[in-house]
Amino acid sequence: MSGGGFITFSPADLAAAAPEIVLALAGCFILLLEAFLPSARRWFATFALLAVAGSLYFLARVPAGAAFGGRLDSSPLTLLSGLFLGGSAALAILVAKPYLERTGEEKGEFYALLLWGHLGVSLMTRGLDLLIVFIGLETLSLAFYVLAAIFRTIPASSEAGLKYFLTGSFGSAFTLYGIVLLFGAAGTSRIEALSRPGLAGLPTVVFGLLLLLVGFGFKMSLAPFHAWAPDVYQGMPTPAVAYLSVAPKGASVIVLYRVFAAVFSDGMPDRFRAGLVALAILSMTLGNVVALAQRDIKRLLAYSGIAHMGYVTIALAVFGRDALAAVLVYFFAYLVSNTGAFAAVSALYRDETKPHPVALLAGEGLRSPFASAVLALCLFSLAGIPATAGFIGKFFLFKAALSKGFVALAVIGVLNSLVSIGYYLKVVYVLYMRDAVEPEGPPPLTPADRLALGLCAVGIFALGIFPAGLWQLAQRAAETLPLGGP
Amino acid sequence: MSALLRHQVLTVLVFLPAAGAVLLLLFPRRAAAAAKFFALGVSIVNAAISLPLWWNFDTALRGFQFRETHPWIPALGITYAVGIDGISLVLVLLTTILTPVSLLFSLTHVEKQAKGFSIAFLILETGMIGSLVSLDLALFYFLWEVMLVPMYFIIGIWGGARRIYAAMKFFLFTMAGSLLMFLAILYLAIRHAAATGTWSFALEDLGRLSFTGPVQTLLFLAFALAFAVKVPVFPLHTWLPDAHTEAPTAGSIILAGVMLKLGVYGYLRFALPLFPDAAMRFAPWLGALGVIGVIYGAIVAYAQKDMKRLVAYSSVSHLGLVVIGIGAFTTISLQGSILQMVNHGLSTGALFLLVGVLYERRHTREIAAYGGIAGIVPVTTALFLVATFSSIGLPGLNGFVGEFLILLGTWTSAHRIWAVLAATGVILSAVYMLTLVQRVFWNPVTHDENRKLTDIRPSELVAAAVLVVLMVWIGVRPNEVLDRLRASVESLQETVAARSIAGRLP
Repeated sequence: MSGGGFITFSPADLAAAAPEIVLALAGCFILLLEAFLPSARRWFATFALLAVAGSLYFLARVPAGAAFGGRLDSSPLTLLSGLFLGGSAALAILVAKPYLERTGEEKGEFYALLLWGHLGVSLMTRGLDLLIVFIGLETLSLAFYVLAAIFRTIPASSEAGLKYFLTGSFGSAFTLYGIVLLFGAAGTSRIEALSRPGLAGLPTVVFGLLLLLVGFGFKMSLAPFHAWAPDVYQGMPTPAVAYLSVAPKGASVIVLYRVFAAVFSDGMPDRFRAGLVALAILSMTLGNVVALAQRDIKRLLAYSGIAHMGYVTIALAVFGRDALAAVLVYFFAYLVSNTGAFAAVSALYRDETKPHPVALLAGEGLRSPFASAVLALCLFSLAGIPATAGFIGKFFLFKAALSKGFVALAVIGVLNSLVSIGYYLKVVYVLYMRDAVEPEGPPPLTPADRLALGLCAVGIFALGIFPAGLWQLAQRAAETLPLGGP
Repeated sequence: MSALLRHQVLTVLVFLPAAGAVLLLLFPRRAAAAAKFFALGVSIVNAAISLPLWWNFDTALRGFQFRETHPWIPALGITYAVGIDGISLVLVLLTTILTPVSLLFSLTHVEKQAKGFSIAFLILETGMIGSLVSLDLALFYFLWEVMLVPMYFIIGIWGGARRIYAAMKFFLFTMAGSLLMFLAILYLAIRHAAATGTWSFALEDLGRLSFTGPVQTLLFLAFALAFAVKVPVFPLHTWLPDAHTEAPTAGSIILAGVMLKLGVYGYLRFALPLFPDAAMRFAPWLGALGVIGVIYGAIVAYAQKDMKRLVAYSSVSHLGLVVIGIGAFTTISLQGSILQMVNHGLSTGALFLLVGVLYERRHTREIAAYGGIAGIVPVTTALFLVATFSSIGLPGLNGFVGEFLILLGTWTSAHRIWAVLAATGVILSAVYMLTLVQRVFWNPVTHDENRKLTDIRPSELVAAAVLVVLMVWIGVRPNEVLDRLRASVESLQETVAARSIAGRLP
């Protein structure tokens, strides 16, 4: 380590880590309650929500600066990303409560694992040391390996768990090798140290960065590292997918941005940028085209997510303060739209032991008007239609790309959104323009369902119509990283 | 008009329907009739608010009136900026009048999911009026795209047999056109920021930019494509017959009456003044495509067996004429084109409405299924005849004035041949429309079902009567409209002339 010797904690360090400590303790608390006071189960979701809120409260109170000898960041960037992650966790808990009640699985483990996974993601965004980031990544992964397989009796769930575990460990190994190489080059695992002049050109560093990109590419389900996502999403409990498909992706992008900002303090080399551009185009195109052929809504949303990570990678390739601010806004838009879509999927399907074919949604527009309307809204938002958050995300993203002269990339991006309309509209069509096939509709919505769906809908419109405030926050957050110019 | 209303009247016009749609969400689903009446009421109030614009509009003024500007996304200089000139004035009024007409017709003809239908229609009105009054390109694009979603649902849920295909095609075609315009708008704003150091999406600011050769051409094409799909200009018209035929009657009225016009409007408002050189360079192409549209649309219309499809193809032909007038770019031809947009909105709106009247009774649009019904439904027949005469440009009615001005203006331009060719389209339109009348209303009765046809209902009659009155009024007093267009058209021509010579900002 840079300083050598042991790290000493001060009370200020502990205060800086309070957001994570709250989550860890809350997870333990819920797990203990599960063991000793199972009758408290119906309060678990509330406890978990309180823990997320408490974590955010402490995050907001931490003074700006680095703790633990410059290893744990507290800045406008971590605050905004904390808001994003906390929103994702809170919505996932709201979706989980009725889902677990319906499936008879309302146990403490689910919430505890979700909170610990959330802890890991939070560490990823705050880590100024690659080891902290890695610990966060592994905490997330371990928690979600288990969450994926939590329905032990359903083969699809076990399959999802195993697949996620195998590909995930593979990805983690890449990340770790990348970190080792960077450590070898810089002599320390501190991200900041990577900005030392002369490092950017070293083959070790470039190779380390590529490995890191592969590792986080797995977590983002960025093509060509995406193959696990459709299978895992399909078998994993929907509320867990609602979190996994949003928060870790955002955290991965923030980590990559942090590392790139350090290494490429003199600008990103063209060849590296070309690679990112290629990844962006591949992921957008592959995700959108393959999504057209999907018949299962969770697989469809998985491929849609792969396509969206392609758009996000545009922001990595463009690389700059505006691009970072744009991608932060993009992730907020993605949070409300994608989580809303999964919340609706969770509410609209009756039987969790079976797959989730789009065709089963036929006629739900009339039978379950609220959930269907929110699902349609979320899909329009994912497609980027104005008045929704999704359009605002694309607006800032393409603006950032065009500002830096990425005209062809922007054109490919918008043409891709045209392709995506094909499959998003297909779902809307099934919802509203086909007659019901199932004799029985989905179970009635619980207040938690309504709250989650309502929050996402409000978020989509609020962001879609009044984006100025968030854009300002995102710009301030983007200034945290040493990105030079806009 | 009170001072308050004078400054906010456009904002009220844009958001009143949307507010009505939000209130409609609270209606119970069973209250179908209440929802329909409420939507109708909102659209009538909106029409009532819009009418004083006609008298309070200062015909002598150039530039925009009734302006209102508020910051929206300050960091990027995006504003909520609205205002109208003569061109938008007539189209806004066309919209506020056609919307209640469509909803009035739908009162008795939309049964399933009436609440959803009413909501979609009101949001559509917000999108249409909003696009017509936006003076900020970001705001314009925003509202322009907002129109797509309700129309997708209107076609897809309440449409005819092939509604799904038609709705999807409509959505994808229009979206494909406008996505590149989205990038072009962003690019303009970025160039403006680079040149001046401040962000703006305002039309007036972006209009000061000038671009050289290929960049201007590409930007122009990105805008022109979006608008050409909407008009639609041949050969991008293939979505139109499907969408117009499969849409429910009210949807067809709005599609043909207003949404097609937005394509031409967008071209006049944005593409021409922003990229004058490229626009002038492509004007011959535009005119040529217009000529093809006029003749092709007319010939294909003649071959149709389905009444609605026939009227839909007639739109391709009529809009071709409008495009010729724009391509010729003389004061007279431009005025004629804009007037003809209104005329087409009225006559085609009325034709779709009356075809809807017949369809609701016989549940077929096959021309061959009718014949000899003039004596059975005399009022419908009379109204249909007036709409037909308007459509084929019979003197005394509105259509004549518009067509005459376009042809006259084009004849005085450098492209006389267009006027000659377009005149054949005028003749062809008489051929297919009168043949339609002949086969549907005259001829002997061949189907016994037709003997029991009931004539037009009071609500349908009122809806149609509004349109017929306007056709006659414009036919008799076209100057009422032309006066309001003159200053705006001249100002547009001057802007284009001035900008295509002198470059302003680097």
